[in-house]
Amino acid sequence: MAVQAPAAPLPRVRGAGWIGALTSTDHKRIGLNLGLCSLAFFLLGGVFALIMRSQLASPNAHVVSDYTYSELFTMHGSTMIYLFVTPMAIAMALYLVPLQIGALRVAGPRCALCGFWIWLFGGLTMQSGWLAADGAGRDGWFSYVPLSNSANTPGVGQDLWTLGVILAAVGMTIMGACVVATIARHRAPGMALLRMPVFTWTALVAVLMVVGSFPVLVVAMTLLYIERTTGANIYTGFSGAIDYQNLFWFFGHPVVYVMFFPYLGAAAEAIAVNAHRRWFGYKAFVISIMLFAALSMSVWAHHMFTTGGSTNEYFAFTSTALAVPAGIEYFDMAGTLIGGSIVLRCSMLFGLTFFVQFLIGGVTGIFVASPVLDYQANDSYMVIAHFHYTLFAGSVFGFFAGVYHWFPKITGAFLRERLGKVQLAIMIVGTNLTFFPMFILGQEGMTRRIARYPQHPGWETLNRLETIGAGLIAVGIAVFLVNVWVSLRRREPAGADPWLGHTLEWATASPPPPLNFETPLPPIRSYAPLFDLHEEAMDRAREGVSA
Amino acid sequence: MRGGSIPLLAWGAVLAVLMIGCWIWTRGDTIQVGTFAFAVTVVWGSAGLLAAKGGRQSLRRGAPPPERTPDAIPTASLGAVLVAVAVGSIVFGFAFGRFLVFFGAGLLVLSVGIVVHEVREERRAARALTSQRREGDPR
Repeated sequence: MAVQAPAAPLPRVRGAGWIGALTSTDHKRIGLNLGLCSLAFFLLGGVFALIMRSQLASPNAHVVSDYTYSELFTMHGSTMIYLFVTPMAIAMALYLVPLQIGALRVAGPRCALCGFWIWLFGGLTMQSGWLAADGAGRDGWFSYVPLSNSANTPGVGQDLWTLGVILAAVGMTIMGACVVATIARHRAPGMALLRMPVFTWTALVAVLMVVGSFPVLVVAMTLLYIERTTGANIYTGFSGAIDYQNLFWFFGHPVVYVMFFPYLGAAAEAIAVNAHRRWFGYKAFVISIMLFAALSMSVWAHHMFTTGGSTNEYFAFTSTALAVPAGIEYFDMAGTLIGGSIVLRCSMLFGLTFFVQFLIGGVTGIFVASPVLDYQANDSYMVIAHFHYTLFAGSVFGFFAGVYHWFPKITGAFLRERLGKVQLAIMIVGTNLTFFPMFILGQEGMTRRIARYPQHPGWETLNRLETIGAGLIAVGIAVFLVNVWVSLRRREPAGADPWLGHTLEWATASPPPPLNFETPLPPIRSYAPLFDLHEEAMDRAREGVSA
Repeated sequence: MRGGSIPLLAWGAVLAVLMIGCWIWTRGDTIQVGTFAFAVTVVWGSAGLLAAKGGRQSLRRGAPPPERTPDAIPTASLGAVLVAVAVGSIVFGFAFGRFLVFFGAGLLVLSVGIVVHEVREERRAARALTSQRREGDPR
């Protein structure tokens, strides 16, 4: 433990090696551990996706059985949502938010550490279903009742899935609460609310949604588990099924935005820094994401339009209204680029790609926000295409924008730009080759969650293209891993502020010291305090030249 | 002076407006309005907790005065990890075998004890530093 005096921190006493790394309460170490574990789960979920795509490469393939296919699509979705995209967003928030607001630590470091381990046990519990006699969870990542009750899905695998989700959700809620408390209580002097960086605002709304909606998932899954194991009549009949869906989607839709906002913030930071301009329309951006987050808490039943158990008018209205704050964010992005001195580094390119790709997912989201159209598109590949354009083509590109932007801060070394651009090119082709044909297949009536499909003209070609695209995505990820390996083996030292960053994390060493800042913080007079310093230095230089 | 609760209060207010819209439009659907009300309660409850803790200087006015009691920052916590192991063991035990539930319960008691010990050690060290400072600085 260290005893921190505000002016003169004492040297830390910390455990060495693996034990020290695994029990560390340093927010950076917890964030890094969470991020690395999430990345490992991402690779696992990617393997599931590749196996599924191999099965679908031809109409009647026998790569896996129908039963295994059900397990694969369940575990692919569950792994990506509960164990990769959401926790990775929280990992970025845990690592970066204290640095960006000039805090020495995260609030409740023990809680954050405990939350990480509970989440990890949740992930392992979920995946341990593969070792069960009847296999892993196989009812989709939403596990609707009555399909998921013990009569229709017997076995320990589905129980382990349910318990794993509970643990993962509890862990993420705890970590999210720590980030909220950090922002509320640990901002540096001068760091008023409207001087918080863009990424911190996006992280704040994301973790507020975690705190507000994840406990509902825990309740839904606990009741499901009780029903499965005791036979209690909890989700019975039509109303029981609808109640479960309400509880599930009250988590299930906000989580989509938890998986979006921090990556939006990462892309925004990368774009502003590489355009050498402040993020345009900051206050409008802050108001819009607060509204965006609140609206996205009120749209959950658009997943239930076709059930007959939801008030479609209200949820169609709020779902369509989401386009307004989203439009403000795109407007701010364009405003930041206009007149900027743009450098097309990997982080910038990934950030721009995030905005472009997400637009396809967002616009198709407006289609399915209309109950009339959703009745046609429901449970078809149209929906699969829509949400993969938001979650993969959107969030994952935003994630890579963040990785290329902050990797030098985290490790003290640059990633290789050339390899990054190769990765980007492969991933753009792979992503669009995988997910765009799904729109056509969905429009032609191909339903989701099927291991075999009819010999419909053109379907095999489109599915084969998707399989090739999935392979290309895997190659792109492999290039990224090679890039990390090469960059860490043959380090090109980055220094504290290699990009002329705007926010406080660039005011400390790379990687940051244990208590984040060893030198006094620069004055905080705006949401881009280092940009202020760069501007002042430029002004002084100009005055010197003119004198 | 509101302990950093303003963004939570503001966001909770927007949620409450949407909840009222949901209540009117859905004609008071119990589960839909109920889940919404839960979220509003959690957000406003968190804001209330922060406000009750209070005592935070307004950041816009510049640097707050130096704190009299140093902030104890743990660098590692075996207890916190063991709490998570215990919780994981109990939950996994529900599906795998009851012995894990008992093992986890025992470990939970032990790990909470370790956390309490860690926190007490931190406070002791913080107090020691405070008294050292007082001795060095008679003010």
